[in-house]
Amino acid sequence: MTTQSPPTLDVEQLTHNLYAEMERLGKSTDTLTKLATNRLNVQIGLTPKEVIWTLNKMKLYHFYPQTPPEQRKPVPLLLVFALINRPDIFDLRPGNSFVEYMVRQGYEVYMLDWGRPGPEDAGYDFEDFSLKFLPRAVRAMQRHSGTREFSMCGWCIGATITVIYAAMRPDDGLRNLVLLTAPLDFGNKEAGPFNKWLNTPYYNVDELVRQFGNVPGEIIDYGNKMLKPVENWVLNYLKLWDNLDNPAVVESWLAMNNWVTDGVNFPGAAFRQWIVEFFRENRLMEGTLQMEGRTVDLRNVKASVLNVIADRDHIVPTCQSVTAMDKFGSRDKLLLEMKGGHIGLMVGSGASKRTWPQIEAWLAKRSQ
Amino acid sequence: MSQSPTDGFNPNDPIGTWRTIRDANLDAWAKGMAALVNTEVFANAIGLQLDTLLAASAPIRQAVNQYMETYLSQINMPSRAEVINLASRLTNIEMRLDDMQVQLDELLQAVHGLAVVASANGAVSPEEAAAGEAEGAAKPRRTRKPATES
Repeated sequence: MTTQSPPTLDVEQLTHNLYAEMERLGKSTDTLTKLATNRLNVQIGLTPKEVIWTLNKMKLYHFYPQTPPEQRKPVPLLLVFALINRPDIFDLRPGNSFVEYMVRQGYEVYMLDWGRPGPEDAGYDFEDFSLKFLPRAVRAMQRHSGTREFSMCGWCIGATITVIYAAMRPDDGLRNLVLLTAPLDFGNKEAGPFNKWLNTPYYNVDELVRQFGNVPGEIIDYGNKMLKPVENWVLNYLKLWDNLDNPAVVESWLAMNNWVTDGVNFPGAAFRQWIVEFFRENRLMEGTLQMEGRTVDLRNVKASVLNVIADRDHIVPTCQSVTAMDKFGSRDKLLLEMKGGHIGLMVGSGASKRTWPQIEAWLAKRSQ
Repeated sequence: MSQSPTDGFNPNDPIGTWRTIRDANLDAWAKGMAALVNTEVFANAIGLQLDTLLAASAPIRQAVNQYMETYLSQINMPSRAEVINLASRLTNIEMRLDDMQVQLDELLQAVHGLAVVASANGAVSPEEAAAGEAEGAAKPRRTRKPATES
């Protein structure tokens, strides 16, 4: 071990550093003024698309192909996001969009938007989303694309919904199933704060749903942020403050902030089922989850499965996805552990360099 | 491995030094809080907090709902529950329409296919086959943008 001498005071260097800081503050003030007066507006979900089907508040988008017909993959891809937050995270910003990336690789990309549930939708549960609405969206996609076989990519609760669909409708043409940070196995009650919070007897989910109908997006957002309170309520804003002179970082921060703060209400019946039947009773993995009068049996999943997990996911710990692999009846299945968090897995430079190419390569082999 | 006795401190960069100290403190705070929220005590506390809030708001919510229901009934307006019920029925109707549209399209395609086969076999007159073609043409227009426009 060597010991270095402490740096000595260099007035020229000190002046230079202070001047640079003043300059940075000057640039930052301009950005700060624009932020404070709402003049910095960053839009998300900009890849050109059309609505090809609607039902209630749901919309099915088709993204316009950007490759010549001969370079397009014959098997279309359907993206399904969670019931909380908007699906725009699949298509955050030009250059930072999974949708844009896949469209440029020649995929016919479709995206299901669940919409913003109103009070009249409070009675919809996972059976409705997985087996009433999703199959109809799939049917609309099949009719539009003219192909029966398709790939599906579900993220977070969207992955749970697609797994239920895959298990209950194994013969509907689903060829490939990509799961992103899929919460499936809640057997480990020590895994992550959510398990502890939702399993406490004080957490009265019935009363919450009875009073609110749909659980407000603000409560869901509060719960998600509470998992890492300092990061979400302090460090996040500090990151913006430190980078106010960097337009690229500010733009990317605003895009993500727009998405995070645009929460949607969780349909009451689905929320209750999520807490009771999934989190507390772990019915999906125990093989006791009943839908349409039948048991949801993961052994019925026949599609090829790519299960992507994130090593630093604090919302869906990896153990909630990994163990499900043994339950799937698919012959072709792969578990892919990537660096990143629950959202960072699919957004940002790391995602575009690592996660997207790996998903695309896996799908490309199975989309001919 | 080298180590400076003034790790993180540079007299020529006071702002940088302050940032380093700030980040180290915040990092420690973040780790502490992340550990705290992952405890049974915190889980019980947050659950209890929510339960108390719900217990406190329940009578107020119930009173407001009852008052509104009475008031809306007095002025001959539908209540919230009635509007919700109507909206739910609309969704069911929309779902049935969606199914019927698909079935109708399939039926038209089948009729079109039969007409083409019959025409090829010479079993129907060209006029009848044309009528079959016209029915086939009634199929909803696909909205996909032509490849040349992409």
